[in-house]
Amino acid sequence: MFCKSASQLLKELAYNDNDQLTPFNNDIFEQVFRECDEHHLHLQSLMRKIQDDGLDIQTTRNSDHFGAVIHHLSLIRNKRCLMAYMYNRAEIIRSLRWKIGTILPEEIQSKLNYSEEEYFKNHCAALEVYMSEIDLDLTVDMIPPKDPSIQVRVRCDIGDVLLGDQVASLTNNSVHLMKRTDAEQFISQKQVVGALLAPLPLEGAKLQKSDLYSVMPLIYLCKFGFQQLP
Amino acid sequence: MAASSSSRDDLSGTDDLLGTIDPASSSSPSSSSGVEMLKRAWRNEKAAPEILQYEEELVETFREQIRSREDIIDNYSGGGTEDLMLSLFRMDLDRTLFILRSYLRIRLQKIEKHVFHICKSNLWNRLSKSEQNFATRCTDILEKHLEQSVLGKLPYGYQSILKQSISSEDIDMVPEPRLDTFVFCKSRDSIGSFQLDDYGEEIVDLVADDLYILRYKSIKALVESGRIDLL
Repeated sequence: MFCKSASQLLKELAYNDNDQLTPFNNDIFEQVFRECDEHHLHLQSLMRKIQDDGLDIQTTRNSDHFGAVIHHLSLIRNKRCLMAYMYNRAEIIRSLRWKIGTILPEEIQSKLNYSEEEYFKNHCAALEVYMSEIDLDLTVDMIPPKDPSIQVRVRCDIGDVLLGDQVASLTNNSVHLMKRTDAEQFISQKQVVGALLAPLPLEGAKLQKSDLYSVMPLIYLCKFGFQQLP
Repeated sequence: MAASSSSRDDLSGTDDLLGTIDPASSSSPSSSSGVEMLKRAWRNEKAAPEILQYEEELVETFREQIRSREDIIDNYSGGGTEDLMLSLFRMDLDRTLFILRSYLRIRLQKIEKHVFHICKSNLWNRLSKSEQNFATRCTDILEKHLEQSVLGKLPYGYQSILKQSISSEDIDMVPEPRLDTFVFCKSRDSIGSFQLDDYGEEIVDLVADDLYILRYKSIKALVESGRIDLL
């Protein structure tokens, strides 16, 4: 009672790594609602008591009034905690659209509750409408371009794709040189891997992490869990 | 143009291409200063904590320019022109496109972050028409989401999204951007002594091209009038 459970929700938010979602904590959520109802009942009964005693609600300052104030403040605090929890999660969900794209992987999908999934879909739709209004795709080109085209290796069979004005057959393990903007959409869906722009290592040198790889493919490789050196 | 270049050799095809796309030529006379203005708008938008005025003409001019350059490059890519020149021009186009996209993206992310505040204050006028439509849509879906999950289940009198309860006097649940964050800035012309806060206690001498770190709140008006650039 008195916001102890609501503060647990906030602690969960605070302990998160930046931008990591925890599974939606439905149990504590429901508990906070139950507490809110309790507080509200207490509040109303105290207000009724003041009225029954024949005193004016606006100006009385007896113990019942202060009890009512405490319940009211707890209610507001619970509301703020719940809203903060949902609001912050909504912010993380919005950032997922920019980082991952319209289709969320299973492990993230399982952490959202129903309302959040709907919110994500609606948000993606709103973005699509805006981008079609201005006729510009804003989800490509997330990092400054260093080269107009990159080499990619295809990881799974995609088949024949129209790239620019030519049709390329994207079969498994084939290497293509495609325009950056075309490659980005495949890379974000993990269907191709950016190959090194300098494919051959220096003679006699071992291919180590500290070798100077072109920056762009490294950033794409990061999406697959490679460590980027500081 | 394209038909004739294919019948010449590589070098003269390159000269042709240079002639059309060279920024010093008459086809795009203001492109070098235009890019500077776009970069300025982009840097300001990136550094400012709140959303700034939409640069409609800049964006439109650049969309046109990008479209015409893309057409020119498409015309030449079929012919015998050297691949290096083409990729250089493609590179230049890509970089301009990146700045444009990044500018619009930053604005969008600021709108997403402070959507209630923007809708309820005069910042609304700083948005373009499409951004306003996007902001309305964002408010609607966020309201729906919060009502569905939180507000609908709270007791009567506590269900407002903007006020804490019906007994609150003001709208007190709207998150606002923090205007007192520090920003790096450089003044374009000498402004002389400038008062940093309302009490007249801190006065700073702003000289042209000097680098300063100030609170955004104090220099807000100067940024809006274009006399100071954020970095």
